[in-house]
Amino acid sequence: MNAFFIKEADFTQFLGNMIGARKVIGPKARKNRFVFDQIRKPEDLRLDYDVTILPPKKVFFPPRQELIRFHGQKGSSCIQPESTVLFGVHFYDIKAIDMTDHLFRENNMDFNYLAQRECTTLIGSNVQNIFKRAFFGSVGKGVAPKGHDGFTTKISGGYLYEVYTAKGKDLLAYGTFIEATEEQINEAREVNDSVMDKCPEKINHDSLEISEKVRSKFNSPVWEEFAHDCFSCGSCNLVCPTCYCFDVQDNWNVDQVTGSRDRTWDGCLLEDFSSCSLTGGSKENFRETRGSRYRHRIMRKTSYLTAKLGGPACVGCGRCSSSCTADIADPVNVINRLMEE
Amino acid sequence: MACDNCSCSKVYNENIFMPKEAVIVRAEMATASEKHFTLKWADDSPNYFEPGQFVEASLYGFGEIPIGYASSPTRTKTFDLIIRAVGRVSNALHKLEKGDTMLLRGPLGKGFPLDKLRGHNILVVAGGIGLCPTRSLIQYIIDRRQEFKSFNLFYGARSPDDQLFLDDLASWRKAEDVNYHETVDRGSDNWKGNVGVITTLFQKTEIPNDTRVIICGPPIMYKFVLMEIDKIGIPHENVYVDLERRMKCGVGKCGHCQINDKYVCTDGPVFQYSQIEKLEEAF
Repeated sequence: MNAFFIKEADFTQFLGNMIGARKVIGPKARKNRFVFDQIRKPEDLRLDYDVTILPPKKVFFPPRQELIRFHGQKGSSCIQPESTVLFGVHFYDIKAIDMTDHLFRENNMDFNYLAQRECTTLIGSNVQNIFKRAFFGSVGKGVAPKGHDGFTTKISGGYLYEVYTAKGKDLLAYGTFIEATEEQINEAREVNDSVMDKCPEKINHDSLEISEKVRSKFNSPVWEEFAHDCFSCGSCNLVCPTCYCFDVQDNWNVDQVTGSRDRTWDGCLLEDFSSCSLTGGSKENFRETRGSRYRHRIMRKTSYLTAKLGGPACVGCGRCSSSCTADIADPVNVINRLMEE
Repeated sequence: MACDNCSCSKVYNENIFMPKEAVIVRAEMATASEKHFTLKWADDSPNYFEPGQFVEASLYGFGEIPIGYASSPTRTKTFDLIIRAVGRVSNALHKLEKGDTMLLRGPLGKGFPLDKLRGHNILVVAGGIGLCPTRSLIQYIIDRRQEFKSFNLFYGARSPDDQLFLDDLASWRKAEDVNYHETVDRGSDNWKGNVGVITTLFQKTEIPNDTRVIICGPPIMYKFVLMEIDKIGIPHENVYVDLERRMKCGVGKCGHCQINDKYVCTDGPVFQYSQIEKLEEAF
């Protein structure tokens, strides 16, 4: 590992140089919350953010993405990645990106995601403030964040910058970095370790144990009980860093000749997510009840994907918990409850 | 296209959502709501697929729908798709005629496991439009009849007017090496055959318990046919089901077709029954 140090006073200049040379996306304040957005001025970057409203997956997997542009019945691919630095991503979101990387790569390589992913330099930053619904300290503890190019940690007098790849190393050119000392490396490790047991919420069991037990609770009345207040709005899906389901629809331009085949975020909590059209306008909905849809989301997070991903498909960011109008989406509550049954 | 401004020069031409053009060589209404298209690839690329696989059929501006191959790859010049008019995409596709172009993405998914079927007694149970994807296997078996032992074929339709592939049915009725049995839920004045649900056909013929069984039909049909299979005592690993779900992307990403942890579009649509019978959402 290569570890470097940059003084607090030099950090602004580093950001300024990087923003001048590259497209940089990072955490930014929006009213009283934070979002990932393009950083145009160093002072816009808010590394003291707790969590962003939407996860950074939107950089590679935007809410609406053109897959094909068409003119009449002739289509053309429109994969146009743009060199980007995604800066200041918390470790839990890095874990989530690593999962979506795997899922868009397996079986059929989806370059509509992978091209932008490959053209992105992914730089993490330590959690300086913990979100009020976060539980990242107690979920998927055996899964280390990976797939990022570098990681910054705020330490005494400045930032430690750990470089993992050539893309991460490239950023050194924008600032005055010096070789970090052993003490600085140790301090950064302590800073990152110390947030792990400070989360306000906690899952009480080990991920593997949860994976098996929750799977065995498929017919538990708990699902309907929690889903009783569900509005089927899909907010929990949309804000989730590991949710990657989508719909594909064709959209005409106003000329009614040209248009695009687009994918948009979709969610398994939405009522018609699994429904098929049948003859005579009728439908077969394979997950008809709110309870069955609610259960599917939790199962996807705890059990269905664990063999593939080597851990749960939940990183403990707390976004679903805070975005749920009825406050029933929190995985901590339902998992702890099922585990105690 | 290449990444616009970074040091890498990688070009991304591959797009799993890009369809290919197929030319319609024949288009005929098969029933009041189903249209039978015979197609070939516009670039004359070889017609390679496994029976039971499917394509995403589309027209730009309307969208894509999953449609199973309704002909066997042993018939190499063209392939068949049957499209039932139910929604926006299928109604747009219904307007296409001979000489028009249809956009297709495929072949997709896992088809019937021919290696596990060869050399065995076969029973195909097809209900309604379930005859379309299974026809890819039925034709295959007929074309390579010597590779299989006895061949029983059960077909159930709602009414005589809903029967598909009338020419095929006529030839199967006469064929000596196909034990074809059919029924309709509701008869008509001219109908002299069986009336009743498809499971009634199990009483009409002896199915040996070492038979390999293929089932495809409306969701409600599976439970009842599987009960008959259990009565005969056919092991579940010898039973294959061809399942229908909302396969939107067809490449195992979009999530709509999930049955518990399985993606119907890539893990299926043909599944060995023993591998999914414990999945609560399968039937």
